[in-house]
Amino acid sequence: MNNFAEKQIFEKADNWAKNNKKIVLATVIQTWGSSPLGIGSRMIINEDGNFLGSVSGGCVESKVIEECISLIRNRKNCKKIEFKVSNENAWDVGLACGGDILIYIEEITK
Amino acid sequence: MKIKTIQETLKNKSLKKEFAVVTNLSNGDSEIFVPGINLKGVFSEYINKIEEIFNSNRNGIIENSEIFVQTFKNPIKVIIVGAVHISTFLIEFAKNLNFEIIIVDPRSFFATKERFPHTKIINKWPNEAFDEIETNTRTALVTLTHDPKIDDPALKYALKNKFFYIGALGSKKTHEKRCLRLIEAGFTKKEIESINGPIGIKLGGKSPSEIALSIISQLVSEKYKNKI
Repeated sequence: MNNFAEKQIFEKADNWAKNNKKIVLATVIQTWGSSPLGIGSRMIINEDGNFLGSVSGGCVESKVIEECISLIRNRKNCKKIEFKVSNENAWDVGLACGGDILIYIEEITK
Repeated sequence: MKIKTIQETLKNKSLKKEFAVVTNLSNGDSEIFVPGINLKGVFSEYINKIEEIFNSNRNGIIENSEIFVQTFKNPIKVIIVGAVHISTFLIEFAKNLNFEIIIVDPRSFFATKERFPHTKIINKWPNEAFDEIETNTRTALVTLTHDPKIDDPALKYALKNKFFYIGALGSKKTHEKRCLRLIEAGFTKKEIESINGPIGIKLGGKSPSEIALSIISQLVSEKYKNKI
């Protein structure tokens, strides 16, 4: 397991928090089949839509960012989002690689 | 997760502590788990399971619960004997791969701060240098001087202390001679076969950066093979 990326992400979170930004942390908490990234992979997003890290190989990041921003807007503190294998005939967000992932998004609180 | 947990994680990382971050997925509560110390509230009910995930170096949700555990272990230590050109590229590659590098070379004109500005350098013979380095089965050795005077003592130390990876630079012929010397020194055939010599996976490249890439690739592959 590689903690290197986590350290960078947490440093960024700390930095944004010092600048009073609202921040959401997204974490891969469960995977089934051939998921692109392992459990524990993280991404951090702030209220301006800036982000660092990843939770897939680029397949679902845009949807996760959208969900994180709406979490801030709706003043909720956490949510689970499941992504399944994508339907090739639809322009929906999904995993082309044939796996399922469960992502947990949570607001960083003071 | 509280910002306090994030700050504590960064502090623990800089102090080289090993720990886990535990999160209650139902409400976002988080705590830092350190082995041997109990946790508060709902986390205390799962302490054994948390410990189990931490000890097996994994991340994951505890079965039939809402508790997520993320393990933070120290990077794998890689001791490089020889402050040579290949070493400069190894350090470059290792930066993004969670390896902690220590360079050992008694030849002070090679192992200078100027050549290796951000790396720990020990300007001593391997036997003396190992007195200053804490090693265990999560340690790797890469010898690059192909000078028996410098490489051999390091190889002997790594074999005796069961490093998970030992690699030695040198041609097939150089390696054959090295194996003979180690047999004479009393090491078994099996022990000697655990040395990756010639070092690295076969990429076909001969330049220092390509050799460094083949070494770092082998290190990553052995790390996962050995579940470290």
